[in-house]
Amino acid sequence: MTGTTTPAPGAAKPTHVRRGVPVRTPHQAAKAGGGRLGGPLAALPWALPAFAFVGVLLVYPFFRSVYGSFFEENGFTSSFTGLDNYTRLADDPIFGRSLLNTLMWVAGTLLLPVLAGLLIAVATHRMRFGGIAQLVIVLPFAISGAATAVLWNFMLTSEGAVNQVLRGVGLDSWAQPWLLEWPQNTLSMIVASTWQATGLNVVLFAIGLRAIPRETVEAAELDGASGWRMFRYVTLPQLRAVTVVVVGMAIVNSLKAFDMIWILTKGGPARSSETLALSMYRETFRLFHVGYGSAIALVLSVIVVASSWMYLRRQMPDVSGTAAQS
Amino acid sequence: MGRTVRHLFVAGCVLLWLIPLYLLVVNALTPATEYAGKPEWTFQGFAFLDNLDTAWNVAGIGDSFQSSLLYAVVCGLVAVLVAAMAAFAVVVLPIPRPAFWFWLIYSGTLFPLQMFLAPLFGMYADANLYDTRIGLMLVYTAWAVPFAFFLIRNHMTTMPPELTEAALIDGASFPRIFWRIHVPLMKAGLGAAFIFQFTAVWNDLLLGITLSRSPDVQPVMAALTTLNNAYSSAGPPVILAGALIVSAPTLVLFLVFRGLFLRGVTASAR
Repeated sequence: MTGTTTPAPGAAKPTHVRRGVPVRTPHQAAKAGGGRLGGPLAALPWALPAFAFVGVLLVYPFFRSVYGSFFEENGFTSSFTGLDNYTRLADDPIFGRSLLNTLMWVAGTLLLPVLAGLLIAVATHRMRFGGIAQLVIVLPFAISGAATAVLWNFMLTSEGAVNQVLRGVGLDSWAQPWLLEWPQNTLSMIVASTWQATGLNVVLFAIGLRAIPRETVEAAELDGASGWRMFRYVTLPQLRAVTVVVVGMAIVNSLKAFDMIWILTKGGPARSSETLALSMYRETFRLFHVGYGSAIALVLSVIVVASSWMYLRRQMPDVSGTAAQS
Repeated sequence: MGRTVRHLFVAGCVLLWLIPLYLLVVNALTPATEYAGKPEWTFQGFAFLDNLDTAWNVAGIGDSFQSSLLYAVVCGLVAVLVAAMAAFAVVVLPIPRPAFWFWLIYSGTLFPLQMFLAPLFGMYADANLYDTRIGLMLVYTAWAVPFAFFLIRNHMTTMPPELTEAALIDGASFPRIFWRIHVPLMKAGLGAAFIFQFTAVWNDLLLGITLSRSPDVQPVMAALTTLNNAYSSAGPPVILAGALIVSAPTLVLFLVFRGLFLRGVTASAR
């Protein structure tokens, strides 16, 4: 998920609130309430359980993982090797392929579900039975990635439903083992993931469309806008806020894609359809290259955080401005 | 867009989305013994319960289903409670440096799970938590807290501070303010956070296959994957019946609480 939030503006700075001055920020207000709240430490017990869970099980392992990426470790012995794991990445053809697949996933899951979602939302907007159409398309979103993968495995195997349909309509030459060769295994899985993910975008765009004020559309109609021009110059700009959300989520989720690939191909054959998320898992838990796996995980983390941060900073200057300060 | 084009486009999309779902249902109903090795397009009888029985008992989806239900309900509830308390501390109470606490707790969602896996595995092996239900519940709760915290915190900032002030003046203690004012007023937000985290835990595969192995501990998605790997022996109807049943809880939740569910999702990105 792309976290885009503002801690109360200025909350990081100590605030001096004179008693009796009306204030709006909740915790400033509490301060102004007089000494009844007790010392500043009175709030700590409320935050501690969350801190304990997150600190011990997420934050500590995160730093342990960063540290571990400088070691050659196989689960039994470990020795410090400095940046070796990272220089190995540069020479590893599997890492290159994995990076390329990750980029394909990002590009594919950005283009297909976002465009399809936008088109379907616009087409079903104010249409009779449009709500039902949206519900059908959003249903796969409610079933898990693993179940979707199992279903598409059934469709994409050599004797699967897709080839059956292709042979049935006389396109025998198009029928092929979809999951056994690169690049169509990665592309097929992107299609499967589009089938699952589009529904959510449809709903989000539909919410955005409903929020467009009627007056805006009517004013544009009076000015003679319709069809494409209406869409390009009126609808699309009004959907900007939703688009930021949809694209931001798509970037992060595509980088983390795991379930679909693990079930459909396990990254194979011959590791040809691995993404960074898969490579890390295989190196660490199948090949016991723990340090090397941690290095891949760190590369992936840097890409996830950097891309979502850069995207959001460009799209929502106000939000990241605050985020950068704190 | 012309009217006809528009209708054709929508109809085409609906068809494209329905066909896999239709195949899922039809083939999950086909008797496993009569499955001819390729997908069926028409109903071949009603053997769903037999297929489900095979998946449930022989492949162990049943045990995992119960485990996952336990994980998703308990971890969802605990995570929402813990997150609500933290949000209360950060938003309402005079904690020093609220922004620091916010980012500390929220940072848990920013990184891909892969970043935590290897050290978690090591820690779990050392603490004898590997392949135990309690171990999985701990990590699922920790994993669910940051995002629930984010949702609840956003909701809590919309509450007027005068409510807290009034209660303080009446002499209410923190627990009282939390349980009597914030929790009842935030029911919808807490509900959305719970449904969202229930779904996340239920759908998890990666933590499940990394931190557990035995059938009675493994979460349901891991069990489904195991069943799928035994593709040839179990047969597609059994696997698809399994896929259908593991999707049932989230599907029902989604259909019943569509509003709350979507609010959880949209708030995620606001």
